[in-house]
Formats: sequence, C-alpha cells, structure tokens
Amino acid sequence: MWAYILRRLAYNVPVYLSILLLVMLALRVRDPVFGRLPKNATTADIAQKRVELGIDRPFHQQFGSQLKQVATATFDEISWDYPGQTVGEVMSRCIGPSLSITLPSLVLTTLFSITVALISAWFRGRALDKGLVFVAVLGMSVSFLVYIIFGQYYGAYKLNEWLGYDVFAIYYNPEVSNAGWGEFFTSVWPRYYLLPVLISVVVAMGYDTRFYRAVMVEESARDYIVTATAKGASQSRIMFIHMLKNAMIPIITRVVITIPFLITGSFLLESYFGIPGMGNQLIVAVESGDFPIVQSFTAVFAAVYIASNLLTDVLYALVDPRVRLS
Amino acid sequence: MTNSSSDSRALRKFLRHKPAVVASFIIAAYAVVAMLLLFTNMITMDDTLQRVGPETIPGFSSVQNPEKRLEDAEWLLDRIDTLAGREDPRAALDSFRDLGVRHVAEIPIEDLQQRVEEGWEIYDRLAEVEDLTAAVNGTLNSPDAPTGEVVLADLQQLELKLDELLAPMTAKEKSTRWFEMLFGTDRQGRSIFYRSVYSIRVAVLVGLITGLLSVTIGTIAGLLSGYFGGWVDNLITWLYSTFASIPNIVLLILLAFMFDGGHIDEPLNRWTGGLLKWLIGGRLDETLIPVYIAFTATFWIGPCRVIRGETLKIRELEYVQAATVMGFGRTRILLRHILPNVTYLMLINFSLLFIGAIKSEVILSFLGLGVKKGPSWGIMISQSKVEVINGFFWQIGTATVLMFFLVLAFNVLSDALQDVLDPKHV
Amino acid sequence: MMSPRLSYGLFFLLIVSFAGCGDDAGTQTGDSNTATVATETAGNAESTGTVSDSSAAEAGGPSTSERETASPDVDPVVFSKSTKETDAEFRDAYKKRLASGKLKLAKIPMRSDGPKSMDPVRGSTVYENQCASQLVETLLQYKYLKRPFEAEPLLLAEMPKSEDGITWHFKLKDGVFFHDDACFPGGKGRQLKSEDVFYSWKRIADTKGANSKVWWLIKDTIKGFDEFKATQEAAEKFDYDAPVEGMQVVSDKEFTVTLVAPMQSFLWKLCMFQTAIVAREAVEMYGERFGLRPIGTGPFVLKEGDWQQGQGIKFTRNVNYHECYFPDEHMKSDEADDLHTAAGKRVPQVDEVQVIFYKTDQPMWLQFKAGDLHYAQVPAENFKEAFSKRTKKLNRDMQKEGMKGFPVDMLDFIFRGFNMEDSVIGGYTEKNRLVRQAICAALDWDEQNEAFYNGINTVYDGVIPPGLEGYPAQGKSDKSYRGPDIERARQLLAKAGYPNGEGLPTIDYYTGRQQNGQEQSEMLSKQLKRIGINVQVHLLDFSQLIQKVDEKSAQFFSFAWSSDYPDGENNLALFYGPNEAPGANHFNYKNAEYDRLYEKVVAMPQSPERVAIYEQMQAMLFEDCPYAGSMARTRFYVVTPRMTNFKPTETFETWYKYIDLTD
Repeated sequence: MWAYILRRLAYNVPVYLSILLLVMLALRVRDPVFGRLPKNATTADIAQKRVELGIDRPFHQQFGSQLKQVATATFDEISWDYPGQTVGEVMSRCIGPSLSITLPSLVLTTLFSITVALISAWFRGRALDKGLVFVAVLGMSVSFLVYIIFGQYYGAYKLNEWLGYDVFAIYYNPEVSNAGWGEFFTSVWPRYYLLPVLISVVVAMGYDTRFYRAVMVEESARDYIVTATAKGASQSRIMFIHMLKNAMIPIITRVVITIPFLITGSFLLESYFGIPGMGNQLIVAVESGDFPIVQSFTAVFAAVYIASNLLTDVLYALVDPRVRLS
Repeated sequence: MTNSSSDSRALRKFLRHKPAVVASFIIAAYAVVAMLLLFTNMITMDDTLQRVGPETIPGFSSVQNPEKRLEDAEWLLDRIDTLAGREDPRAALDSFRDLGVRHVAEIPIEDLQQRVEEGWEIYDRLAEVEDLTAAVNGTLNSPDAPTGEVVLADLQQLELKLDELLAPMTAKEKSTRWFEMLFGTDRQGRSIFYRSVYSIRVAVLVGLITGLLSVTIGTIAGLLSGYFGGWVDNLITWLYSTFASIPNIVLLILLAFMFDGGHIDEPLNRWTGGLLKWLIGGRLDETLIPVYIAFTATFWIGPCRVIRGETLKIRELEYVQAATVMGFGRTRILLRHILPNVTYLMLINFSLLFIGAIKSEVILSFLGLGVKKGPSWGIMISQSKVEVINGFFWQIGTATVLMFFLVLAFNVLSDALQDVLDPKHV
Repeated sequence: MMSPRLSYGLFFLLIVSFAGCGDDAGTQTGDSNTATVATETAGNAESTGTVSDSSAAEAGGPSTSERETASPDVDPVVFSKSTKETDAEFRDAYKKRLASGKLKLAKIPMRSDGPKSMDPVRGSTVYENQCASQLVETLLQYKYLKRPFEAEPLLLAEMPKSEDGITWHFKLKDGVFFHDDACFPGGKGRQLKSEDVFYSWKRIADTKGANSKVWWLIKDTIKGFDEFKATQEAAEKFDYDAPVEGMQVVSDKEFTVTLVAPMQSFLWKLCMFQTAIVAREAVEMYGERFGLRPIGTGPFVLKEGDWQQGQGIKFTRNVNYHECYFPDEHMKSDEADDLHTAAGKRVPQVDEVQVIFYKTDQPMWLQFKAGDLHYAQVPAENFKEAFSKRTKKLNRDMQKEGMKGFPVDMLDFIFRGFNMEDSVIGGYTEKNRLVRQAICAALDWDEQNEAFYNGINTVYDGVIPPGLEGYPAQGKSDKSYRGPDIERARQLLAKAGYPNGEGLPTIDYYTGRQQNGQEQSEMLSKQLKRIGINVQVHLLDFSQLIQKVDEKSAQFFSFAWSSDYPDGENNLALFYGPNEAPGANHFNYKNAEYDRLYEKVVAMPQSPERVAIYEQMQAMLFEDCPYAGSMARTRFYVVTPRMTNFKPTETFETWYKYIDLTD
C-alpha cells in the first residue's frame, strides 16, 4: 500500500506543478500594477512598482520562488494588499472563521441528511419517501443567494425585532475576534456563526439527502440484506446495523472529498455576514490581484484536494477488502 | 445492446413517469419563450431598460400608501412639466416613452401647462402635510392637520388631474400596460415582468451553450481517454485533475477576467478574423463569451470523468472485443459501438450542467462578472438585495420563481432520465 | 518678535486668504439648487418647496419659477463663551468611567474593507485617511464646525507666518507627546520636536524605502527638496539626515520652510494626513509593519490586535493627548443640533471608537436599524426609508426616535471622460469636437441622479464642485453643452457628419463593475441610443479600469475625482497637459493656453482675478469637451440620539475626538 501511495503522489507531481503554473499564468493576464499606483503616477512610478512587486523578473524566476514557498511551506511572501503581512499570517487568520462555518455545517448536514435518507429509504416508494425526495428537489431549485438574502433578513433582522432581543447577529462584530475559547463557544459562535451554518445546512441538505438515499436504496437491494431478511432479522436491525455499516464507505468517501472545501469556506456567506474567512479573502485577493495570496491559497487547496482524493482511495481499500490498490 | 426495442421501452417507461412529462412540458414552454425572444421582437432589450413608471411599484396593482401615491404623482407632474417647457414641447412630449404606452394628451401646450399647474396646486397642498400615511390613519396629532378624508379626496382629485394629462388608452395599450405593470417595477421604474421574462433568453442561452459545449468536449475527451488509454489517457486525466484541483470559484473568476475587458477575446477575435464573434457572438450575445468559456472550462470535467469510466468498462465487453477482433476500425468501434452506449450519460449530464449553469450565473452576476447587457435572473436577484430590506419582494420573488420552475423541471427530468436510462441507477 | 496686534492681523489675513471658499454670501447662493443649505437649518420648514423641485427648476421649466425662490439664509459664525475644562476634571471623569466599567464606546460604520496600511505616506484612500488621522496628526487641521472650510493649528502653537508667501515660520505646540510605545526608551512617548516634522516629510520623498505613494503631493514645492530626493534615490542608502535647503530647524520648537515659489495650496497640504508627523523611532523599529500600528501624536492609540484586517478597527483614548478643546466657533445653524453646548470641553470625549467595515450596504443598514451602530451614512437604496424624497427631511418615525439627519456635500467631480488621443472622439478637429459635444448634450445627469441617488446629488456645469470658487451660479453655465437636450445633440451629431449616428462606430465605454455600475451603464447606453449612438459597455474592476485609462486605451470612461483640498485649482489640474496619463489628466487634454493659465493660477492668492481665470479655463473645457459632466454627491447621515457633538463631514477626518456619547 505504501508503494501505491508513493506512486500516486509521484503521479500527482506534474498535476500539482501544472496547477501552480495555470493559476500563475491566469493571474498574469491582468496587470496588477495599475490598481496600486499613486494618485498622480508617472511612467517611472509604474516601472518602480513592477520592481517592488517582483513582477519585473522573468516568469521562470517568479515560478521558481513560488515553488520554493510551496515546497518549504513557508508562505513568508508579503501580501500586496496588506503591507507588512505575510501570506502565511493572512491564511492563518482566515482559516479559523471559515472552519467555524464549514466544519459544523458539514457535520450537521451529514447527520441530518443521513437520518432523512434512512427514513426515506425505509418508506421507499411510499408517499413519505416521494414527499421527502420532492422537498429535496424543491430545495435544490432555489439559488443559494436567495437563501442568504432571506436568511439574513428574516433569520437575523426580523427574528430579533420580533423576539425583542438579539438571537443572531446580522453582521460580524470584529471585536469578537479577540475572544477566548470559552467565550467563543458559549457566546460568539451561537451568535455570529450559527445562522450562516444553518443556512448552509439548508442549502446542502437537498443534495446530500438524495445522495445518501440512493446509497441506502442500493444497499437495501444487496444480497446480504435479502439474506438477513430471510433469516428473520428485524427491519430496524437490518436498517441500522447492516445497512448503515455497509453504507459507511460511500458516506466516508463523500465526507473526505468535502474536506478541501472546508478550508476555502463559502465566500457568499462570508461576504454577507462579514465573516473574516478564507472564501471572502480569496475573492477579494483575486479581484484586487493580490498574486501572493491567490497563488498560495490555491496551492494549499490543491494539496489538500489531492491528498483527500488519495485518502478516499486508501480508505476504500482499508474498509473493503475487495478493492485492491493498483 | 442498444436497439430500437430498448429505446421504445425506455420511452414508454419515461412517459409513465408523470412528473417527468410535466417537467418536459415546462422546459418546452421555456424553450419556446426563449426562441420567441431570440428570433422575434416580442420583448426587446430596450423594453427591459425602459422606464415604464414610478419606481418600486408592487405587482398586481396592490393598494398603495398615500406617500407613494403622492410621490408617483410628483414624478409624472415633474416630467410633463419639464418636457412642456422645452423649446419644442410637442416633439419632447411625443418622444416621452418613459411612461411605456401612455402618451401625453393631444391638447394645446397652454392647456397642458394649465392642467399641470392645477396639479401642482393640489400637490403643494398635500406636500404641506407632514406625514400623509399618519394623516389618513388619523394618527397625526397636530391641531391644524387635515383629516384623513380631506387628504384622500385631494389625492383622488390629483390622480384624476393626472389622468386628464394623458391620452386615453386603447384596448391594445391597456393590455400592454397590464403586462408591463403585472409584477410591478424595480428601483429604476423598469417593468419587472419584461425583465424577468427576457431573462429566460439569457438562462436558456447560457444553459444550452455551456451544456452542449461541456458535454461535447467532455464526451470526446472521455471517449478518447477511456478507449485509447496510454498517453492519451494520461494527458486527459492530467488535464482534468489540474482543473478540478483549483477552487471552482477562483477558476471561474480568473477565466471570466481573462476573457473580459478585451485582454484575450479581442486579440483572439482579430487573429481568427472575427471567427469567435461569428461563432458565439451576434444573436447569441458576445458579451456572454466570458461566461460561456468560464463555465465550459469548469463543467467539462464532470461528463469527461463519467464517460471515461463507462468507456473503460464498455471497452472490455465481449461485443466490443469481438468487433476489434473482426478488424473493424477504431473510429467505427468508437462511433458505432461505444458512443451509443454512453448517450444516456450525455443526456443526464447535460441536464445537470444546464442547472449548474443557471445557478452559477447568479453567483457570477453577484460578483459583477456575469451578464453585461440587459437583465438576467442573477442580476435581478443581486440588484434586489437592497429592496428586500425595504420589504419589497417583487423583483427577487419574480426572478426566483421563474428560475425555480426551470431548475425544478430540469431536476425532475434528470432524475427521470437516470431512472429510465441508467440501468444501474436506483 | 512681532507685536501681538500685528500677528493677529497677519493671522486674520491668512484665514481669509485660504478659506478657499471666499466670502460666505457670494458662494452659498450657488448651492440653492441642492438640498444642502436648506436642510442644514433643520427647523426651517419653509425650505420644503425649494428642495423638492430642484430637478424641475434645473431643466428650465418656466412654470416652476416660483418654486425656486428663497435663497438660503446666510449662516453666520458665532463664538460661544465657554470655560475650558480643567485637566483634573477631564481626568477624573475618565477615571470614574474606568472604575465603573462604563467606558464610552462609539460604534461607527465604514463602507469599505478598511485601510490597507495606515502609514501616512502610503495612504491614498479616504478610509486610510480616516483611520490614520486618529493616530497621527498634521500640523494644521480643518476647523470642526466652520463652513466654508478653514484651517487652524493642530500641532502648531499658531498659524504659520510668512511675509512673502515663500518663507514660512512655524512654531510647534508645547506639551505634544508621541504615544507610549516600546520603541521609545522606557516605553514613554517623547515630546514632539522640529526634526520630527522634517523626518516625516522626507519619508514622502522616499519612494523606495518608505514606499511612499504621495510624492506628487509635495514635488516642486519646497526649495531643494526635489534635488534631495534625486540625490538620495541615487545614493546607496536614503539619508534622512542629509540637509534640504528649504527646511531649516531653528530650535526644538521652531523651524522655517522655504518654498520654490508662492503656492496657494501649501497650507492646505499641511492639513492632509499624508504630511502627518510620525515618530522616527517607531519607523526604524517596525519597518514594514509600521503601517499596521503607526505611532504618532493622535487622540487615539491602536492596541495590539485591535485591527482586524478587512473587518474592523478599534481605537482607544490616548490618555496623554495634548491639550485640545472642543471649538467655541460654530455656525448659527449648528445650534439646532446642539453642537454649541460642548464648547471648551477637553477632547477626546469618547474612550473607544469601534469602526466596523462593510463591503456591502445591506448589512450596515440592517445593523443600524437594529440599533447596533451610532450613526449611518444612508445608502442611496435606503434613502426613502429614512428621508422623505420630497422634503429631504428625516421621516417622522425616525424623528420620533430622536434621530437627526444631516446632508453632507462632497467635493466631488463625477464625470464621463473622453480620451483626447482617440481617433474617433478625441482630438481637436471640429468633427470630433462636435461628437463629444453631442454626447455631452445627450447625457441626462438628472435622470442618473434621480434613479440612483434619489435626486439628492448636485448636477452642475464645469469641473469645480459646489461650494468652491469658480463654481458657476446655480451650477449652470451657458457655455456648457450639458444636456439633456436631445434636439441639440442630434443637430451637433448631424453637423459632425453622423446624422442619427449613421457612420459613427460603436463607442467603447469603460466603467467600474462596483455597486450599480451595471445599471448605470445601461442607463447611459439608453440615453446615447436616443441620438443613435451605439455604446459597447465594458465593466471592469477598478484596477483594470485604471490600467485602461492610464494606458490611454479607454475611449470613453467613467471616473470621479474627490478634491484633495477645497480649492478649484485642485480640479483644474486634471486637465493640465504635463499631468497626462498615467497622471491625473486622464483625458490627455493638451492646450498650451490652458496650461499657461494653470501655471499662473497656482501661485495666485485668492482674488476676483483668480476667479476670472478659473472661469476662463472652464470655458475652454466647455468648448473642447474632454469630459461630460458633472455631478457631486451629497451624502445623508442619520445619527442616533446617543451620539452627540457630531457634525458629519467627508472633507476632513479628524473629528473622532470631538464626538461624544450620552448614556
């Protein structure tokens, strides 16, 4: 197996290089100098800015220094938008807030949707099943943006007005960034993060429920279930012990595949609720052309993405002896 | 494996699937509207940009509060007053299309100005009142405040005056007007009905073109990769792994940027002698080129992966092996034996990508990178976020509902297609 | 030394000479078509009619003439008698609050993602200005309540003096200390001295080491400074101790500055935060990171970790702030807002200021409505929720809650620019000039104003924003081609050889994609379509837009300019030939006669002759039409009853120290 992992990693080296290259090239279509010029600029200012940003160097040198950053995992390049701060600092400051939304919503979505999927599979073909599937489809047919706009208006503003006290914050309060752990869990998280989490759970529920239902239904048609039923095992035992156990592989796969998206956060939620996370920062950096940030963010994402893909394959092999890594 | 009998069996199975049939009709209806919008002047881009009345009017002619009514009256008085004061008032008044179909009455300018003046008199009286809504509700606690009846009477009189300023409407004009104001107006006084219906064109275009392009590219890449294996497979897998490992939204924005602002599309167009514009420009809206390209570049990965996997399996099947042994050409085997067996995947993927395209358009529009000319649902939704805090839901509601039915229909359809066509799918 | 009487006389002369806006009565009439002056005197109900019909009056409707009556009252300056709060009183009150844990925490919004760097020589945006101004200070500042704007000493003991306008004598205020910081021996901030001023200014010249972005501000100004910059930049190491001919230290508290030539705007530049005084020790200790926590003499300090990039920033009272009082000079109209009652109080009055950054308006407005903010700028989209569109007065229910509404005029020049080097619409041939004039006449700024700004902005002719000298009466000049006048536009276009736009290629229009750029450009293309001109809109993000303009490849573009200081000369510089792109002359307008006049005007003191030249220069611009415009924004503020002593402004940013909170 270690040989397999090593082989896969080796195979991913050119992929990884091409990701870095692609992002760097795509960024360089736009000239980052012009957004950063003094008010009454001269051509000399433009040339000097190029030197300052290091984009006067030939491309292969720029690529080389980026490669070095990634290979040594230092990320000590200075961000262009935040003078005096390294990319590493910016990333470590943004990762927490992003995870505060994505991690709980992954857990909640998975738990809820597996539950609903089990119920749906249990009543397979009956009205309840059809109803649940239809609700899932309905939910999937509305834009994410609409959920957020209404979520913020009703979930925070109107609810608070109606109840007479603040349950959910409409917008992030920068002061709470300095909160300690205890305070974070007891007051900051429920107030500032719970609503975005709930919105993203609602949005993701439809997709996940349908997926897990399909998994359960597929499992229920397998021989071992038929055998267990024939042996007279109770319905609930079959459902929760046999089926769920065997459905663990696709479930884990799906969860692991989601891991890289945890660190990028959700830029829509973050920008609407003012949460200082990765998603928001990434979009701001892409728009303003902060090359160091975009390059390093995508490099980290790609690394995690490749790793989690590899992890799923390995997990498959570990859980299911029929799968051979080759 | 594929033959006419299994096709007709699938068709029968599909027809038994009632929601899917309904969904197909809905999609067909949208498609018809989109075609009409593309090839006739049913609703033009100008209609969607034209002011048809005062701002943020609710739909279905809801009863309005007095403040709003006075504001509307002021708007109309002010417009006619201004135009009547121009050097050539008749021409100015005739060109006054801002009111949609209603024209200014064909009476001498002096009379018109006289009526406007009378209108202003009533207006001034009403404008004195601190808070009209409060006055009407009788909650205005000031000794010399007018009573609700007086205010309402004045308002009615003012609106009557305004009606006199405008020419009476013909039956056709009345029906056009009815449509114009059906779902109300947005912050610029533009018809929400026109805008939301016109957006069907954009949605169908974006969905269709990116869906077709991505499925075509994905299928070709998937087939080649699965069938030939070796370096072809390595190359294609390497390509899609690369694209898949960049955060989707970053890739979308970078690509949209790249083809936006004439950095690449303009030079590319020049080199190819306008081929790019000819291909997807013109009627298909060249301002959407960045959107088409960005979506296609991110969307082709899905079908490519699936079809590659399927091709790998089919390649090992006996009848393909037999065909190979019998010495059929590779192209023939690919086209005759493998392609027909992956068409169902193409169909399913197409409908999934269609949904993806419509929904991603909203996100791109939110970032200001989507549709550049005229309205789209995404633009309507992101523009309406400010109206929502004011409790005005007509724009976001209309756009969401229209988009909802199209996406829902495609969701139901792709489910049905999977049921019917994918033997392994449950 | 001068006799006190003489120095007072000189002082008075100075104030008049760079009050920028001239005599009150003369220029304020220019404002009569905006809401501003009328609503400032919050109580005056008779202003109602005047305001609501501004657009009608402007379009020239004859029937509305009686509605544009009542020129605004002259708003006199009042000096209130006050006793100065003693140091003991001031400190005791703070100690009491500290002990009871009831600190005064002001919560205010900022509609951006905040500053990027607060190093004054790197700052460029108004947001960087606002934040940095609380930490570092300039020699002069704007008077808080006085309108038209006027400057007063901040770090100086008195206004700088000069007899020839070339050599200026400065005297620093006593008892000014830098913030306590680890960069000083013992962690105690030391006293401000003359060398600090020159050190800070030399940083402006250091475009490499200090990364200065503001050299343009001070070049060709101080004798020997340009040469100093050239020498130091060529040298291996930038030597801050090298002498500059025009900067002479007299003593720790006194120094002189010699200019190259008299320059009217010099004292205004001393109000700009880019010239603020910073501590050398801190710059040398923190290097690159100085911009994250600048050390100056400001009324507030920034504690470690109190700036969350992109989210917010919290300022804490500087307990060692130099003696500074709430002004006793105010406008009569300020009394309606109780702004005169605090005269003589020591500042800063609040203990902490929490600034929250908003990239979108929706959450800011929601939070304001929910009571989480002490004031808000009213987003154009929500204007009608807070104000009556007719009367521009605060809605009744807002008034009931004790809210106050303030209109704030901005020194704005919003325009659509033509690239004068473009072959179709640029250049100085009759044909192309006519095309520009036709576009000018076809654009309907009033419609733009109505649709996106609720008609609260000021649409005007020329390039000098309202309230400044050179602004035409009523904002209208008969030389201007500004429309909307479709007929005239059609005629001009036909005369240019493009009847109904036939033969005229599609015009490429470049604009920012921010805010409602999309909707605004839709309106623009609709307006030009009326005379048969087709427009291709290019929505770009800001840096792309600047690039297009700086590379002279944007045919027709949308831009705006905010005045650096309240003098029309600042805007006229936008058309000065040598400033061509990538400089501020985005139009690449070149006119030798215009350039000659501009060079003359720079040195001229305020006078009727100068106004005449301003008008002459603007007339050239009207005829050549390198831009189509113009508009200046008016922002409306809603202030909650909790926040007092607040007179909103967007021209200067040193006001945090004056605001106060009630319990």
